Amino acid sequence: MIDKERVEYIAKLAKININDQESEFLSSQLSKIIDYIDKLKEVDTKGIKPLRSLSTGQPLMREDKAKNNLAKDDILKNAPACLDSFFKIPRVIK
Amino acid sequence: MFDTTIGLEVHVQLNTESKIFCSCSTEFESPPNCNICPVCSGQPGVLPVFNKKALSLGLRAALSLNCKINESIYFERKNYFYPDLPKDYQISQYKSPLGHEGSIQINKNKKIGIERVHLEEDAGKLIHKDKYSLVDFNRTGIPLLEIVSHPELTSPDEAFDYLYSLKLILQYMGVSTCNMEKGYLRCDANISLKEKGADSFGTKVELKNMNSFKGVKAGLEYEVKRQAAQLKDKKIIVQETRLWDSDKLKTVVMRSKEEAHDYRYFPEPDLPDFIISKKMIDQEKESLGELPKAKRERFINQYQFNEKESCLLVENKQLADFFEKVLNFYKQPKKIYKLLFGPFLEQVNLLKGGFDSVKISAKDFAKVVKYFSENKINNLGVKKIISLTIDSNNDVDKVIKKEGLIQLSDEKGIEKIAEEILVNNSKAVQEYKQGKAQAIQFLVGQIMKETRGRANPQLARNILERRLKK
Amino acid sequence: MTNNLIIKPAYLIAKDIKDKKNSQGEVYSFFEKRISQHNASLNAFVDLYKNNFDNQSNSNLTGVPIAIKDNICIKGKKITCASKILKYYQAVYDATVIKKLKSSGLSLIGTTNMDEFAFGSSTENSCYGPTKNPWDKTRVVGGSSGGSAAAVSARLVPFALGSDTGGSIRQPASFCGVVGLKPTYGRVSRYGLVAFGSSLDQIGPITTNIKDCAYLLNIISGFDQNDSTSAKVADPDFTKSLGQDVASLRIGLPKEYFDQDLNSEIKETLDQAIIFFKKKNIQFKKISLPHTQYSVPTYYIIASSEASSNLQRFDGIRYGYRAKADDLWQIYQKSRSQGFGDEAKRRVFLGTYSLSSGYYDAYYLKALKVRRLIKNDFDQAFKEVDAILTPTTPTAAFKIGEKIKDPLSMYLSDIYTISSNLAGIPAVSLPCGFTKDNLPLGMQLIAKDYDEATLIKLGDAFQQDTDFHKKIPELKNV
Repeated sequence: MIDKERVEYIAKLAKININDQESEFLSSQLSKIIDYIDKLKEVDTKGIKPLRSLSTGQPLMREDKAKNNLAKDDILKNAPACLDSFFKIPRVIK
Repeated sequence: MFDTTIGLEVHVQLNTESKIFCSCSTEFESPPNCNICPVCSGQPGVLPVFNKKALSLGLRAALSLNCKINESIYFERKNYFYPDLPKDYQISQYKSPLGHEGSIQINKNKKIGIERVHLEEDAGKLIHKDKYSLVDFNRTGIPLLEIVSHPELTSPDEAFDYLYSLKLILQYMGVSTCNMEKGYLRCDANISLKEKGADSFGTKVELKNMNSFKGVKAGLEYEVKRQAAQLKDKKIIVQETRLWDSDKLKTVVMRSKEEAHDYRYFPEPDLPDFIISKKMIDQEKESLGELPKAKRERFINQYQFNEKESCLLVENKQLADFFEKVLNFYKQPKKIYKLLFGPFLEQVNLLKGGFDSVKISAKDFAKVVKYFSENKINNLGVKKIISLTIDSNNDVDKVIKKEGLIQLSDEKGIEKIAEEILVNNSKAVQEYKQGKAQAIQFLVGQIMKETRGRANPQLARNILERRLKK
Repeated sequence: MTNNLIIKPAYLIAKDIKDKKNSQGEVYSFFEKRISQHNASLNAFVDLYKNNFDNQSNSNLTGVPIAIKDNICIKGKKITCASKILKYYQAVYDATVIKKLKSSGLSLIGTTNMDEFAFGSSTENSCYGPTKNPWDKTRVVGGSSGGSAAAVSARLVPFALGSDTGGSIRQPASFCGVVGLKPTYGRVSRYGLVAFGSSLDQIGPITTNIKDCAYLLNIISGFDQNDSTSAKVADPDFTKSLGQDVASLRIGLPKEYFDQDLNSEIKETLDQAIIFFKKKNIQFKKISLPHTQYSVPTYYIIASSEASSNLQRFDGIRYGYRAKADDLWQIYQKSRSQGFGDEAKRRVFLGTYSLSSGYYDAYYLKALKVRRLIKNDFDQAFKEVDAILTPTTPTAAFKIGEKIKDPLSMYLSDIYTISSNLAGIPAVSLPCGFTKDNLPLGMQLIAKDYDEATLIKLGDAFQQDTDFHKKIPELKNV
């Protein structure tokens, strides 16, 4: 079960607005999914190490060499709002 | 009365050329969004690749802070929304920090435990205007090392000592410049007060925005007073985050929008586990070099410095290193010390780039010390030579020759000049004879003037005294 | 003569270009024309590039047009993941696979429709509307790489790239009667693939036949300096596996996949395939993958958790859709609420929930442990067999709208494909028959880590003597 209150808490964390109706709907849908997922509880995982990564061996590491990247202008071009090479947003209330 | 408990959380920027997960430059003071790329600006589809040097420096720091090192480490994502965080999660470490259970000896009697040392990426910078804010991602992805102490500091003074010792170690290990003004070292504190001898801790207040070493001490001192006053008045200490205001010299509550702090840490799937092999640890240990504490002790034993002198020398790694290099050419530690802390540092402080701009070689500086000790040049000459050679590649001997700085110690020569001076300055002579002892200083000055500063002033004085007594 | 191009494998189209029987431009405009005739009714492409041919580099696929799923970055092109939140986004760099395609001289012809951010199994969750199945336009194409599968199936393009997190290449390939391969995790660089489930995602080829699959895999695979999870393994020439003898290979049939619930039509086609392989002296063995029933729940926790974090960056600050709002927190909330579709929201909620304080151990951590058990099952099985044969999907393509209101039933349509993503192992779906309604069916072959060669060997042996892959859906000219 995942109640409306929990759904609203999740909505806050995920920064997705939902109205009352949506929250009820999501709570019932997610509850169904969670009920199904709860099937995992029956698996005995005592002593089993979590599988964090499929990669084996020492992963790739970079040499510490700085490079100039040419994409910066394109990156700024995608910005919904820009000012003097800054990304512009409404004033952050501190 | 009350017992104070303080724990510090320190972030330092690692000395790397490029960012922790991409190749962008870490250069300070670049134009906005100049050092950014698809990776550190959080474009869709990008992946992080770990900077070798960041691991090496982190490991070095952890080892020099006596930490236990995990056999393998992994990164985790700390998820929260903020405009300075391009991916809206920060790649950090949580359950598997690089090092844990370390310590720092902050003075003869006290060791402070270190809970953890971990690597993470820095966030960007926000500039707040009246009606809007601006975001600059140059700083995003710069490698940081977070060092968390146990809450074992019992006063603002101890906190200051801890921070100072930590800074010195990290500077010595080449891990970070620890320049607080540039934000290369940032320090947050947790502070609580409790009734003297009480078992349980008091309510913890988090203190931020202390942007200098002095600020850390002052902020904590203010908080101790504030909390003590609250407790004396039987008022409750609120668990909150406060900011040190260095203009108003007080701490103020940080206003923040009601945000749930649930960071949903989970292992970063884009970065597999990194194995910290014994070989890596050994390599790093070998290259550690001498820690400041060991150097201070050695300087006392080896060169017969007193504690204060030794501390002053070791306080600045570049100076300490330079000192020992000079020593290779002229084995008179005290004499070197005297000139280093006199004319040398005076000139260094005038240089724009500080010690980084010093060009005079240890060998040349050794000559200066030697000539001075041998009375070949006097104080004025030393100053002149240093000012002419410190930031250039000028040869000391040539400068001495060109500027004619060799001290006149030729007694007959000075005798002759003194004779003239005495004749021409009868007023001063009169005064001296009437018992005005300092009048001789004026006469010495006249000899120096006449010799364009080259006369050995002691000798000049002796000659004058002898003659005046006649 | 150009009609020939519809039935010609991509590698032979390239040969014709090399032999100057056709020019790159002729080939390109042939497929451009086919797209202009049929895309309106299929909705397979979301963006088309004009005259994007004339490649100088030389490879055995030079000049062949290829379609790219709309979640792989192509510098300077619109990449949207079929989401309103990225509607105006222009990629600022080339994905590693795109660099490889370009340097091998392939002609990128356009991007294809998909479920938003690859969340789905039907390509109905798209801001561009659903792609229609070329075999029956009332039915779904599968998903999430539905646009790519439909385009290849209808021969609007000789082949395409898709991405597969839980079956997103193989399931639509099966629904559309084409070949779809998910490589070993780490075989193909993920750099430039907009992440869904970072520990599960792989880019792979969707082709009309296994030979093209081998040629294309040769080009896109390989260790990449930009992807820390890409593997430092040798990259074989996969075309060397074509035409190889398959005798004495051992194939496992997991009992958990062949239980009483298995659709009878699918079972019959698979039986035929088994008979075929037996004639080639392949040994079959009953095996067990005991944790199969837990793969769907394990997958949905891991994939959604990773997705919830991967999708945080779509916040209206640096790119993409920004809702009108006066304050920052409203920008976040409104942009994301208006920008994401229902399924994306559901996944983000599910993932955020599994990672949230107090639930992490019960869900996310538990799922990682079960994931290891699932992988162990496969490791065990591959001690006895060289490949595993299963159905690709529990049913043939279902009707548009049939499952969209019931997420759980939609999730279960990936029941046979999900395990190989969890275990990181390669798997391919091959056309192996048709239902009585003339809908294509697929079989799935799974091999151990980095053994795509065995899949190609078996697939090629199968396609040498069968012609399911040669059947082309009839399309009325519009």
